[in-house]
Amino acid sequence: MVEQPDRVEPDVDGAWFEVACQEFVELVTDYLEGALPPPVERAVATHLALCDPCVRYLDQIRRTTAALGTLPAPTLAPAVRAELLDVFDRLHPRPGDGRAGSP
Amino acid sequence: MRDRPEQEGAAPTAVLAAAEPGGSAAQVEVLARLGNGDRAAFAEIVDAWSPVMLRVALLYVSTQATAEEVVQETWLAVIRSLGRFEGRSSLKTWVFRILENRSRTRGRQEARTVPWSSAFPSDDGETGAEPTVDPRRFRGTDDAYPCHWTPDGMPVAWQPPPEDAVMAAEVRRQLRAALDELPVRQRTVVELRDVHGLTSEEVCERLGISPANQRILLHRGRARLRAGLDEVYRGRSREGSTGG
Repeated sequence: MVEQPDRVEPDVDGAWFEVACQEFVELVTDYLEGALPPPVERAVATHLALCDPCVRYLDQIRRTTAALGTLPAPTLAPAVRAELLDVFDRLHPRPGDGRAGSP
Repeated sequence: MRDRPEQEGAAPTAVLAAAEPGGSAAQVEVLARLGNGDRAAFAEIVDAWSPVMLRVALLYVSTQATAEEVVQETWLAVIRSLGRFEGRSSLKTWVFRILENRSRTRGRQEARTVPWSSAFPSDDGETGAEPTVDPRRFRGTDDAYPCHWTPDGMPVAWQPPPEDAVMAAEVRRQLRAALDELPVRQRTVVELRDVHGLTSEEVCERLGISPANQRILLHRGRARLRAGLDEVYRGRSREGSTGG
């Protein structure tokens, strides 16, 4: 196994893994998750150094993920939240706060 | 719509500290703040976690209304038991354990007893055998560049990008619709990871699935959502090119 992760050689002779675009798109999540075995991760990095469309695909997955993070998610109704905070205030009074008697 | 944020000048650190391991200095500090009635710290944690807690409750109960009740009950239990919390785990782990116990109980009362992980044994393609990108976008194996993108199949630039104000509303609409069409296990993992920001470890723990399974579900879900957005952009460019 050749250990040359930073050197890009498009015409490798099978000395290490080579990744095609169709394989890359199925590895993209494991790549983003850091879950690929090191030789495969190097092969993916090598492929990305050479392949602009796959860089674009990776970027689009990242942008999709980022956009998902902007979706509004339902939360507690304001009245419920306010009630919870009131209960918190009652059961956990600030020291020196006259509202609650000492135990 | 939330009512006014309870910031009161506090730095937004309580949420981070509440996820720190049991016994850590950050945890000791946040527990002291809560014990001393730091309403802003408690509000910060409630605001940060309630959306994902509602989502997790829905793994066990069938309606949004019941999920809201369970989350409310959980927070009340947290407030009442805070003084007895020994800090062996992170505050977050403890809160979610209470949530899951209560959700499970409510789910049983609803007779929705099947645990999540076996409820939907493997909706389509969970094994990962199916390609996530249409094979017609790639050259054949006998091509000079086997399995590389075809000129028409390769990803096109997304312009303007999804986060651009011009696109944001349409992108969110498309993502919401596409999420709702995903197989339930894929949708659940993508929502917990990407919408609610849980870590992969947290998702595996919540759902009782292996890291490898979590990655497969995430992979298939994200790929479908990307493809849906890509259709929006390709549609836009088609409209643009036929408009002249």
